[in-house]
Amino acid sequence: MTHGSSDRAHLWIRVFAAPILLAAATVIGLLAALLWGTAGQYVGWVTVGAPVAVVSWVGLRRRS
Amino acid sequence: MKARTVRLWSLVHTWTSLSSTLFLLLLCLTGLPLIFHHEIDELLGYAPQPEAHAGAARATPQIVAAAALAADPGRVLQYVSWNKDEPGIVMAFTNSAPDGAPDNATVRAFDAVSAKLLGPVGLGPMLIVLKLHTDMFAGQAGKLFLGAMGVLLGAAIISGVVLYWPFTRRLRFATIRDSASRRVRWLDWHNLIGVVTVTWALVVGLTGVVNTWAELMLSQWKATELASMVAPYAGKPPPVHLASLDDVVARAKLVAPGMEVAFIAFPGTPFTSSHHFAAFMRGDTVLTARLLKPVLLDGETGEVADSRALPFYLQALLISQPLHFGDYGGMPLKVIWAALDGLTIVVIGSGLYLWLARRQKRGPGRSDAFARRAPVPS
Repeated sequence: MTHGSSDRAHLWIRVFAAPILLAAATVIGLLAALLWGTAGQYVGWVTVGAPVAVVSWVGLRRRS
Repeated sequence: MKARTVRLWSLVHTWTSLSSTLFLLLLCLTGLPLIFHHEIDELLGYAPQPEAHAGAARATPQIVAAAALAADPGRVLQYVSWNKDEPGIVMAFTNSAPDGAPDNATVRAFDAVSAKLLGPVGLGPMLIVLKLHTDMFAGQAGKLFLGAMGVLLGAAIISGVVLYWPFTRRLRFATIRDSASRRVRWLDWHNLIGVVTVTWALVVGLTGVVNTWAELMLSQWKATELASMVAPYAGKPPPVHLASLDDVVARAKLVAPGMEVAFIAFPGTPFTSSHHFAAFMRGDTVLTARLLKPVLLDGETGEVADSRALPFYLQALLISQPLHFGDYGGMPLKVIWAALDGLTIVVIGSGLYLWLARRQKRGPGRSDAFARRAPVPS
């Protein structure tokens, strides 16, 4: 039972870890650009742009 | 997740998406050029350009107001506004009456130094795109309808996140099964793009919904806060002679030190009472420039009547606007906003394709096709 729960937890982390990290990055970026002036803008460009980078990376990986 | 639970969430996802698909596509497609509306207006010659005056003193608000009235004889001033990002320009809104309909208002730009008329604002093809995006030329009803579509988008996104687990738990993140059928490849792309853009889509969708309630929130503010602010002046007629706008601006700045005037609403306009000017003050950071503070001033004497912070719902509205427009992080953020908008179009389009492809495969009369695609429950 415990072993099954642990496997399930690992599976859950494997499925949701990347989406949760990207969601957190997006929230941080959206707020940083709003609250932290120019430095926040730079953070926003990187973190809000991260989902676009992931999709571009998957697209490029398939072509190569 | 049990098979029955998956089927229920699939039903929610399918029908909240399908019933709003057409309008969400409209919003995404019109939203794309609106991200760059400044640049497009400039390119098409619809953006007034200020004259060059190195270090010259700015024209006083009263001079700009006089120029605005001279440019539109027989009409009245509703608002004069100063945009933080365009310091060389002052905008003036004129209309047939102080409470004239927004669609009948004429917006003109004036040079901030010489008060020379630079030209009309808000015309050209972007106006049509904006109207399509905000209310589909159907006024308040259109706005509320599009707001309801935004709520459906929220439900579609949340149900999509719930379904992400049963559909992808056997796959590594970002797997696109190239050897599988075209429908499965598009399912993988739909799941990947949907899940990585989920936060941005929720933020932009829900802030868009909040924006559709702007008029309702303004009405609530007028009926409660503003009514209480002007209560001591009940029964006073509209001013016969308006106070000088220079006095109004100077006194408003004294009440809100460190702040600048964002715009002034003239007596009788929707943003104030029939007897008062309302000066809406702003700070100088990205955030405080959005959080306006109203100062109410007597229409005849220019004396300060009251000043209060806006209630939370109007502050929420003002903060939601940049998060919807994506106009607060320079050109790179605009480009990223456009890319995310494009990805959302792909998610909507692929969702529609997946539904149609599944229906075709299963044959007519079996509408619960998406649910039947559910994997073995865990």
